[in-house]
Amino acid sequence: MTINMKRPTVLALALFLALSLHSNAADSEVQVQLDSHKAAPRVVESLTERGVLRDYRIAWISLAKALESNTLDPLDGPFTDEAKRVLRDTIVNQQKSGLRQRYVNQNHQLEAVFYAPEGDVIELHDTAEGQLQILDGEKLIHDEHVTLHYVVLMTPSADHWMVRHWQAVSHF
Amino acid sequence: MRLSFLISAAICLAQLCSAQTVDIHVPASVVAGNEAAISTSGSGKATLYLSGPGISRKTDIDLGHEINVQSQDLKNAGVYFVIVCSDTCRSASFYVSAANPAAMTFLVHPSRVPVKQDDAVSGVALAFDQFHNLVLAPATVNFQLTAGNTTVYSRSARMQDGVAWFRATSGGSSGALQVTAALDQLSTRRVVQQVASDPCNLRIKGQRTSSGILVETEPVHDCAGNSVSDGTIVTFTAVDGKGKSTVDAPIKQGVARAQIQASNQAVISVASGVVLGNELRVGAQP
Repeated sequence: MTINMKRPTVLALALFLALSLHSNAADSEVQVQLDSHKAAPRVVESLTERGVLRDYRIAWISLAKALESNTLDPLDGPFTDEAKRVLRDTIVNQQKSGLRQRYVNQNHQLEAVFYAPEGDVIELHDTAEGQLQILDGEKLIHDEHVTLHYVVLMTPSADHWMVRHWQAVSHF
Repeated sequence: MRLSFLISAAICLAQLCSAQTVDIHVPASVVAGNEAAISTSGSGKATLYLSGPGISRKTDIDLGHEINVQSQDLKNAGVYFVIVCSDTCRSASFYVSAANPAAMTFLVHPSRVPVKQDDAVSGVALAFDQFHNLVLAPATVNFQLTAGNTTVYSRSARMQDGVAWFRATSGGSSGALQVTAALDQLSTRRVVQQVASDPCNLRIKGQRTSSGILVETEPVHDCAGNSVSDGTIVTFTAVDGKGKSTVDAPIKQGVARAQIQASNQAVISVASGVVLGNELRVGAQP
């Protein structure tokens, strides 16, 4: 009786640990560096810099989870407005086509290029490197080391920065 | 054993030889909302995948034929991946860029501003195309601030990375300040309410009444002659033989009034914010 009670508990604990480790591993794969020295006209305060860095990293962790698992929930919080709409459309269409995307070993070199006089919008240039995998169900159909350039607009909400616009460009 | 290995190797080589290499030709670039043509080499059946911002498609195709990607699938600016799988998978990518500006987001601060304040009004303009893509192509935005028929500020600013901005000193008279950003045929307007600055030459007069001293300001203006907004607090301080008493009174119709309880001779002073007014000496109650 005692053994039967313990086994599910141990299994649940093991599952939780495995999921936590997997989640932490995925999170640690997203590296973000931010250079805000060229931002103008407003100087980026150190507290703002930390907040933008933290929330942009969270956004990419969430984006990677959403595009791999084809679920919309991870988009709530980090994304708003057009960025959220485009990602939602991508995921809804991936659900129909059966495709998934996986971003592995992400490294983002962020540069703040514009910070509004009143601090209500910041524009970032992201040079993102990593392994992009596209899967049809479980079948890997594309696996490529990519370097992509993104123009990003972030705006502050009550207690964090949100990605409002997110657009890949061929070059800056 | 050796013979079976050789046969297996021969079969593998035969398969490799028969597997055709598919070349994919994609456009160098596409403007959002336009169609695009993708062509492939080879022959036979294959699967084409299109993965981009807002789109994920899987289609069966015949190799060697041109495939049209419809305009509604290319509305969002960004990078699109084309993957063609037959025996093996090959890929190519192309970029969709924003179309011409069709809308402008214009952020202006603050909503109320005192007159003649240096760098007190600022605005940021961002251009978007009809599909809500950020337009990154160079363009010039004209910012203009007008109060009544007077142009307070006018400046042309080059959009850089899709953004243009200005910072300006507020006008000299209270009232509505029209703030306009214009880009080609697009124009967006915001209104900032200009209010009087700090009071200037704050003066009071007073008279003894049966219940104390009634004091009131002369009409309160800023240094440019604008009436200071109703609701602005004016502080009256009376010092007499019994000590000091303070009364805060809001300006109503340009004047602040207060009834001060003092039977002895009193010295009354007035202040509003950081501005001090005159002192008034009122004799003791007869």
